[in-house]
Amino acid sequence: MESFLFLADGFAVALTPLNIALLLLGCFTGTLIGALPGLGPVNGVAILIPLTFAFGFDATSSLILLSAVYFGCMYGGRISSILLNIPGDEPAVMTTLDGYPMAKQGKAADALAISGVASFFGATVAVVGLTLFAPLLAGLAIYFGPADYFALYILAFVTIGGIAGVDPRKTLLSALIGLMIATAGLDPISGIPRFTFDNYHLYDGVDAIVALVGLFAISEILMLLEKAAKDRAAPIGLDSWLPSVRAIWSTRWAVVRGSIVGFIAGVLPGAGASLGSVMSYSMEKQASDKNGTFGKGDPRGVAAPEAGNNAASGGALIPMLSLGVPGSGTTAVMLAMLISLNVQPGPLLFERQPDLVWGLVASLYLGNVALLILNLPMIGLFSRLMMVPTWALMPIVAAVSFVGVFSISNSIFDLELMIMFGVLGYLLRKLDISLVPLVLGLLLGGDMERNLRRALSISDGEWGVLLESPISLTLYALTAVFLGLSVWLARRDRKRRQARLTEG
Amino acid sequence: MSVRLAGVAIFMIAALFTWYGRGYTASFGDVLGPGVFPVIVGIPAMILSASLVVFPSGQVEWPERPYLVRQLAALAILAGYAWLLGPLGFPLATFGLIVGIGIVLGGAPLKAVILGALFAPALWALFDQVLGLPLAVLGDWFG
Repeated sequence: MESFLFLADGFAVALTPLNIALLLLGCFTGTLIGALPGLGPVNGVAILIPLTFAFGFDATSSLILLSAVYFGCMYGGRISSILLNIPGDEPAVMTTLDGYPMAKQGKAADALAISGVASFFGATVAVVGLTLFAPLLAGLAIYFGPADYFALYILAFVTIGGIAGVDPRKTLLSALIGLMIATAGLDPISGIPRFTFDNYHLYDGVDAIVALVGLFAISEILMLLEKAAKDRAAPIGLDSWLPSVRAIWSTRWAVVRGSIVGFIAGVLPGAGASLGSVMSYSMEKQASDKNGTFGKGDPRGVAAPEAGNNAASGGALIPMLSLGVPGSGTTAVMLAMLISLNVQPGPLLFERQPDLVWGLVASLYLGNVALLILNLPMIGLFSRLMMVPTWALMPIVAAVSFVGVFSISNSIFDLELMIMFGVLGYLLRKLDISLVPLVLGLLLGGDMERNLRRALSISDGEWGVLLESPISLTLYALTAVFLGLSVWLARRDRKRRQARLTEG
Repeated sequence: MSVRLAGVAIFMIAALFTWYGRGYTASFGDVLGPGVFPVIVGIPAMILSASLVVFPSGQVEWPERPYLVRQLAALAILAGYAWLLGPLGFPLATFGLIVGIGIVLGGAPLKAVILGALFAPALWALFDQVLGLPLAVLGDWFG
């Protein structure tokens, strides 16, 4: 029950005026970022990170702000799903299936309220899970030696692409590209410059934040330019924001089931919020679609994926904080921020900086309440702001990205680097190569190498040390299983697609 | 085809990376030295990219020429912003960025100019005045 004492301290940290203000600001900004189509949680958080640095907040406050944005995005994504039939971000795709039909039937207020309450419940389940399980996992991770960390990083690279059926070779290649970029700069142990091309700007290595903003925000502009600009349909109007309580109550079991499924999906490495919402929607459909109402505006089809994606996004914080290995794209971006603030997540974080961990957990509890309150009456405001056209939104996003990156180092070189990463990100996205493993490789590369070299220093160059401890053997076994599974899934998907092609 | 070409490009980069990485040595320090990790990373990257050349997966549809031109224009504007931020100062350069990207993205030119005229000074005021990030009002060219 030690956790509860820490949690009480955490509330003391979270309830300082600055942190409350940041929390509310983050919740509002996050909901807006989530609601705006084209600006997802990864983009949003990536753009805000350099600005957070520039404001000079400490690590705890920065993390509270960004987590509030992150949670807010998950709430906001559903607004455009329901009112526009355009998912505001990736995890909200499933919400369009039943949310938009509900809105067309004149039940927009109900759909929004149901999804809001479901989001609240899912996120709360995740935060309770975080309170209970993260310290356990961190306690376990204390026993990890350098060789075990090396094995853990390998597992993380193999699993981060998820089991979405994308070619697993591309995912691994993406991680390896990230690792290659991570080696540029002065070698941390011997001080020898590697891959710097005698450019002194590269001696410190590639700043992960610069790479992130380029990879996500700039490449998004290039993606948008591919297609003809279309005027979006006007959103479905709202008569009132007061929902019927009965409609919300009728979805209670869908919410409970969705939260649990989503939470499990979130904790698993490499799954993240998108998989959480997909899994909880399909489970709910199997469990309760007796009359074929799913897809035609069934409230349970709105509640389950929303509970699922919020539970998953909270669950994804567990491996990020306790092992230092993020479970999703956005948590990878948050890891980048922590590393840049000289906070190394992992088991020691819970011992050395309990203020940060528990302050964050407490502010997530508060943030959830704030988001629920913020979201119900202010939905009209968000739905109006959502109508900002892309041509007006993206130039502002570009300008803010430049200011953020420029403020880190005041160097034009970083701006050029950001644009280059934008082009790289665009090309990789076109080739169906996910960017998240690359970011993870870039972030964890240095640590992975350090742990490998430490392990081999201890063993005096004996490579067998990597396979000695039961922990690393288990991790390698998991890696092998996961790799096998993803190869099998990719092959099965391809066969199915070929079968469909020959049939049609 | 695109996947094959990308595979070739990544293979070349990984091969060069491995080749140069191998050469980094330190006369003292730890057992492994700075040259081994690049080899550990580079060789699997070479194998995977080679396998993409031989067995490519997925189709890539590149944008048609007019859209490609718009993308290049956007990149030129972004690069121009990076280089002109110093000489022009923040508000003026940002005005150009917002107007340029706005028009490339299909906004009406007049509306884009109004957007830029409103937001460039507003962003400067927000970041420089309110949030305390130093951003030059007038660039090197003006004094």
